Amino acid sequence: MELVIELLRSTILAATPVLLASLGGTYTFYSNVFNIAMEGMMLIGAFMAVLGSFLFNSWSMGLLFGLAGGLLAAIIFIIFAVYLKTDEFVTGIAINMLALGGTTYLLRQIFHVKGAFISSKIVPIPSWNIPILNNIPVIGKIFSGYPFIVYIAILIAFLVQFHIYKTRFGLRLRATGEDDNTVDSVGVSSNKIKSISILLSGLLCGFAGVFLSLGYVTLFAENMSNGRGWIALSVIILTQGKPLGLLLMAILFGFFEGLGLTLQGTVIPSQFTQMVPYLATLGALYFYSREKKVVKETVDLEIIKV
Amino acid sequence: MKKQLTTGMIGIIVSFIVGIIIMALQGYNPFLSYFQLFNYSLFSKFALFTTLNKAAPLILTGLSAAIAFGSGLVNLGQPGQFLIGAMSVTVAGLYIDLPAPIMIPLLILIALIAGALYAGIAAFLKIRFKMDEFITTLMLNFLAQFFTLYLISKPLLDKKMFSPMTPMINKGGWFPQFSGLNSSFFLAVIGLIVMYIIWQYTKVGYEWNIMGQNSLFAKVGGCDNDKNFLRVMLISGALAGLAGATMVLGGMQHRFVKGIGASYAWDGVMIAIVANNGILGTGLYALFFAMLQTGAMGMELETAVPSEFVLVLQAFTVLFVVASRESAHILFNKISVFIKLRGVKKGRENDGVSN
Repeated sequence: MELVIELLRSTILAATPVLLASLGGTYTFYSNVFNIAMEGMMLIGAFMAVLGSFLFNSWSMGLLFGLAGGLLAAIIFIIFAVYLKTDEFVTGIAINMLALGGTTYLLRQIFHVKGAFISSKIVPIPSWNIPILNNIPVIGKIFSGYPFIVYIAILIAFLVQFHIYKTRFGLRLRATGEDDNTVDSVGVSSNKIKSISILLSGLLCGFAGVFLSLGYVTLFAENMSNGRGWIALSVIILTQGKPLGLLLMAILFGFFEGLGLTLQGTVIPSQFTQMVPYLATLGALYFYSREKKVVKETVDLEIIKV
Repeated sequence: MKKQLTTGMIGIIVSFIVGIIIMALQGYNPFLSYFQLFNYSLFSKFALFTTLNKAAPLILTGLSAAIAFGSGLVNLGQPGQFLIGAMSVTVAGLYIDLPAPIMIPLLILIALIAGALYAGIAAFLKIRFKMDEFITTLMLNFLAQFFTLYLISKPLLDKKMFSPMTPMINKGGWFPQFSGLNSSFFLAVIGLIVMYIIWQYTKVGYEWNIMGQNSLFAKVGGCDNDKNFLRVMLISGALAGLAGATMVLGGMQHRFVKGIGASYAWDGVMIAIVANNGILGTGLYALFFAMLQTGAMGMELETAVPSEFVLVLQAFTVLFVVASRESAHILFNKISVFIKLRGVKKGRENDGVSN
């Protein structure tokens, strides 16, 4: 029983950053911006969160810094991809490299360490106990006492669903993704819609980063996003960007990552258990592709023709 | 070509200016830092050879990415193929002991095959199950990373060492050095020439190029896209695997160390992107990146700017070079439209006069 509870808890914890990042990416998915910078946005968010929390000894400043970091990455993306017409794929790769290099550089420059920065001065995100659930024996243990971002993330999934499908902005967003010239022709700037979608994705990826460095663990390590941005991207492609689908899919991936963590310390070497989420992605892609028979080009992957 | 060089230079200059601003803001002397950057990468025989040694894996990973992207494949699996290539020669080098003239070609062949096979997994998944190579190659990177980490921390661990690494491979597999210049550089140059000839002068190269421009057109024109896809993927993987092998066979370590060749593979992707998937351009930018990375150490030594700074500089170079290329393209189009329009106007006026 303990093991099951532990597995479910690590599932929810591991699902949260993937969920937040994929919710961010779903905005750009709908506006047809090929955003592969989520990995970098997350990493910048994670670094800035630790920086803010460390400097001001407060988790709320960490949160603000982290969100600002995500937005900063988004602004760089917008300047290059939307206004200077640099290829989106190229911009994404460059931002990922910039995030990796930049955080490593700043880690050394500000904290004078290499590899990872751990300090008791970093204040983590507080955990919430859900009042009534908390008192129920097993369920309380499974659903209560997470860093509060976990609960907000689930709420955001529903908000994003509403935002994309039920509001005027959502309609324009989807229209931009379908055909941006048409949107321009009715007097709505498609560049503006695209920029907003990138900003929103930066914000949510920054949020995911905050959770990584102040919720999941309380430290910053080089390249700590560790492929979660890529997994988020595959989740988006697999669910066609449906926010509630993302929620389910992220939980599934969280389960596999949690499974990997729970299996650690058994006879299976930890390196193999760490492979589980990536294998799961391949497996999911297999079923997805088999179902589609011929993959509809959801994302324009023939982008490298410049 | 000339236009490419110009926009490339503009991009590099802009990124260097951004570098000056960043360094100045942090209270360093940017000009001294740049001088040391060049000083420690070009201005002595030792520095130059170090740069060339560093360029070898970068040229190969860059070629791997350029060939793939140029043919319209999104092979982002260089990191995985790189690691598998390096691991395969390590294993072979540990268990095979032959004289160098036989052993080195054998190991090179093993690296090529291993890299190609690892990329072949993604090609198989794409052709057989229509699984997108973009995601599969990325996921295979992580699998390769954890798998090699397992091998060096359990079965192949050198127990005398404090961090995960294998023992040294047998001496027959070591690349010869020529007063500091490692022969892996020549290997990379050979790779560059071979790929240039294939890309520029052969029928398959032409077919790949067309597939990259417009795969439907290639198909209609009678090319077997699946076959070409497989070929490009295998060659791309083989090049990345070879790049990995140079890390073990060349260099000083002659063993598989944890985090081997950390960023060479991603650097290769960036190099191909800045070079716009051109083969010669890839070679040039690989040299440029190698210069930055080599000079960074000297810069840190002399002016205390952390060497990680060049990672930032590299990313900016990519952004600005590509941005200036695109902007130049748009500007060029605008100018040509303007000239044409003026011609049309003139024509009308002339018509008016004749009437």
